[in-house]
Amino acid sequence: MENVTGMTKTKKTHRPLSWQRVLPWVIPVLIILAWQVAVSAGWLNSNLLPSPLAVLQDGVKLAASGELMKNVSISLFRALTGFAIGGSIGFILGMANGLSKVSRALFDSTIQMLRNIPHLSLIPLVIILLGIGEGAKISLVAVGVMFPVYINTYHGITRVDPELIEMGKAYGLSKRQLLAKVIFPGALPTILVGIRYALGVMWTTLIVAETISSSSGIGYMATNAQEFMNMDTVLLCILMYALLGKASDLIAKALEDICLGWQQTGRSEG
Amino acid sequence: METTLITLDRIGKTYGDKTALHDVNFTIYPGEFVALVGMSGGGKSTILRLIAELEQPTAGTITRAQADLVVRVMFQNDRLLPWMTTLDNLSFDSHDKAQQDKAKKTLASVGLKDFADQYPNQLSGGQKQRVALARALMADPQLLLLDEPLGALDALTRRNMQQFIGQVCDQGHLTTLLITHDVDEAARMADRIIVIKNGTNVYEAAGAKGQNAETVAKVAEEVLQVILRPDDDPTQVEAVAARD
Ligand SMILES: Nc1ncnc2c1ncn2[C@@H]1O[C@H](COP(=O)(O)OP(=O)(O)O)[C@@H](O)[C@H]1O
Ligand SMILES: [Mg+2]
Repeated sequence: MENVTGMTKTKKTHRPLSWQRVLPWVIPVLIILAWQVAVSAGWLNSNLLPSPLAVLQDGVKLAASGELMKNVSISLFRALTGFAIGGSIGFILGMANGLSKVSRALFDSTIQMLRNIPHLSLIPLVIILLGIGEGAKISLVAVGVMFPVYINTYHGITRVDPELIEMGKAYGLSKRQLLAKVIFPGALPTILVGIRYALGVMWTTLIVAETISSSSGIGYMATNAQEFMNMDTVLLCILMYALLGKASDLIAKALEDICLGWQQTGRSEG
Repeated sequence: METTLITLDRIGKTYGDKTALHDVNFTIYPGEFVALVGMSGGGKSTILRLIAELEQPTAGTITRAQADLVVRVMFQNDRLLPWMTTLDNLSFDSHDKAQQDKAKKTLASVGLKDFADQYPNQLSGGQKQRVALARALMADPQLLLLDEPLGALDALTRRNMQQFIGQVCDQGHLTTLLITHDVDEAARMADRIIVIKNGTNVYEAAGAKGQNAETVAKVAEEVLQVILRPDDDPTQVEAVAARD
């Protein structure tokens, strides 16, 4: 939701001008200040919209009682487990279908069919089959994550420059070498796009799943707080999701920078 | 009898109902620099792909001096792996010390010692083709195939690279087959020129490698006339065959 800043790839300059660093923070800071002032001055009803300071105090209180930590870690556990399972399945299927015609003929049309089902529509089904335990939430995340990883892995593999593959063959690379040195690195940029997208899906799915059926996690905290009209905590939960989403985006970006460093080394020529 | 490196005998290649090659016959002898010249679409690249065993002919036979003849291709575009440094492009990121050392030596031999850790997108077009040449030389090929390797370069770099490739091939006593649509390039670089037209070899001429500009121009003109001749006079082909 707030990932817009993360998506624009600013070109790295060696000496970033200080205003380029400061500028992105100006609007968020102004909004928070205005908000605080509006609530303090009584222009906004603090029961409906608590001030940023109140949200912070609530956060400190919940952190001290250990409740915040407990719920954040259970949410993180679900998100990451689901991501690992769904991501692995998507990746393996994408690799297999990208590389083998037999596998493609067997799986691809089925996967394309299933892909058109919005995975959140599976919630009632999953609750009936798996109840409201951890399995239900983890499998929903896994299903949501699987498709973007699959699609991007598959496309990444099939769209590797055929001329590079021909070169690899002409230069006597074995099948394994061809995969490790030509096909996989060639597909990696696309695969990473899929992973980054899947991280977003991971959080959205978890929020919905935890909101609908759960007795722990950030989503549960928010629903519970909503029942008691505890707006501080509701906003705190939204803030937690924003921070976790931002964190996973930063991790994805760092991963791209590490794996795709070669793309950044442009030649400065006229 | 002279030893031969590779012989193409009545080679044909069709794609579906499209005939790319028919009745191609020629021999390459060890140590010579042969140029295949002709207009685009004539079938030159197809011949190269058959020799490199990237594809199989649909007719005729290719006889090699030995079954495991080491053939390396240098393509029109450099086809360097953008995610590897130039050095790793030569060794294919090998962890073998001997391979790495050889890569360093080969890179130095094309004058790019200081560019070992650069990525392809940090090099100029000419430098990239030097790396591609070095990569082709890594395996000590018995036959070097060059498919219009200089086609994408500007005129000055191109001349410079013609000289450079000529030197490398001479010094390494390499057998080389150069494909080009540039008659001037063929005349200047080759010992022997084979003209490919409409999917077959129609003419053969002696090249002017190492000779003066006047001779180069004369050979180029001779070859150009053959290429531009409206239709092929079958007696010419026979004349070529008789000359061998
Ligand atoms: N894979 C292919 N499928 C169909 N036609 C092809 C294929 N490769 C080459 N051809 C055809 O064969 C002819 C010769 O092509 P090519 O060998 O690339 O010529 P040149 O290298 O002399 O320009 C062309 O008409 C081309 O369209
Ligand atoms: Mg060609």
